[in-house]
Amino acid sequence: MRAGKNESDQELRARLEKLQTELGKQEEERRAETGGGLPVGGSFGKALSAGFTVLSEFVAAILVGALIGWQADGWFGTKPWLLVLFLGLGVAAGFYNVFRFAAPKDARGGG
Amino acid sequence: MNPIEQFELQRIAPYFINGVDVSFTNSALYMLLAAFAAVLLTIGATSRRALVPGRGQALAEVLYEFVASTVRSTAGKEGMRFFPFVFTLFTFILMSNLIGLVPYTFSLSSQIVVTFAFAAFVITLVILYGLYRHGLGFLKLFVPHGVPAPVLVVLIPIEIISFLSRPVSLSVRLFANILAGHITLAVFGGFVVMLLGAGAWAALSPIPILAVVAMYALELLVNCLQAFVFAVLTCVYLNDAIHPGH
Repeated sequence: MRAGKNESDQELRARLEKLQTELGKQEEERRAETGGGLPVGGSFGKALSAGFTVLSEFVAAILVGALIGWQADGWFGTKPWLLVLFLGLGVAAGFYNVFRFAAPKDARGGG
Repeated sequence: MNPIEQFELQRIAPYFINGVDVSFTNSALYMLLAAFAAVLLTIGATSRRALVPGRGQALAEVLYEFVASTVRSTAGKEGMRFFPFVFTLFTFILMSNLIGLVPYTFSLSSQIVVTFAFAAFVITLVILYGLYRHGLGFLKLFVPHGVPAPVLVVLIPIEIISFLSRPVSLSVRLFANILAGHITLAVFGGFVVMLLGAGAWAALSPIPILAVVAMYALELLVNCLQAFVFAVLTCVYLNDAIHPGH
């Protein structure tokens, strides 16, 4: 009886593993189908949304950079140098955001 | 005729505590309506638990499956612990957007204070969960690896600004899409009225009506898509909190 139970345990494990790999395969197929991007909306909606995403990411980074610089200037009394510095950094962050959004995942250099 | 009149807050039940205005406004009313619609859909429609689902149940199941697969594919298996949060956020925004599309209603997402409250909550959750999960290791999120030290001096502030810009872009995107859509619809609706009142020009009035119809379809798409984009980006940010090391 003991041996029989062990055997069925092993069998069960083997079956589980097989199921696992099959599930993984299906998941991959599904992901390939949706392309990993936005799975809803027609191409027009997708393009509209992508364009707006790029715009808002870009503008938001510049705004946040400018706000940080402006506030820091107020704190340290260094008008207007920190604003200039952080505005530049904000623009860089904006381009960085856009790059991260637009570049394919494996081209990001681990970023 | 004023295209931005529709976004005005109105006190339904004025109420002041020590001079602070906490009145029950139309915004609060539509929040309750959206929450009630979401509850009605998810609890009411699935209460029968039929093996062969009816219309309501099928809709609720599709919604659940859709959000679940979105969370799983963007934030991984561990992200599923945030599924209730993302699902709540998505259904609430979706319901308020769809209710806002009905003529004479008020659109919640057209108020930046509402969308920014959502985004600020999401980003606070990301920071707190990241710190709770990884301690100070969460700060590795701001340090891209494989970069020489002198470049890091510039890159770390950029990464931090980029991170801080997320709640801004998240809230502005939803807010601006909904606001612009509703204003456009109102303006084109106003054209119809103006043309009708302009004597012989009334013959041209069907043109803006057709435009309104076409734009209404587009708005329906945009409203659903923006709710979805908000949910997806929430998942992406939560994923950063779960796996900050890259």
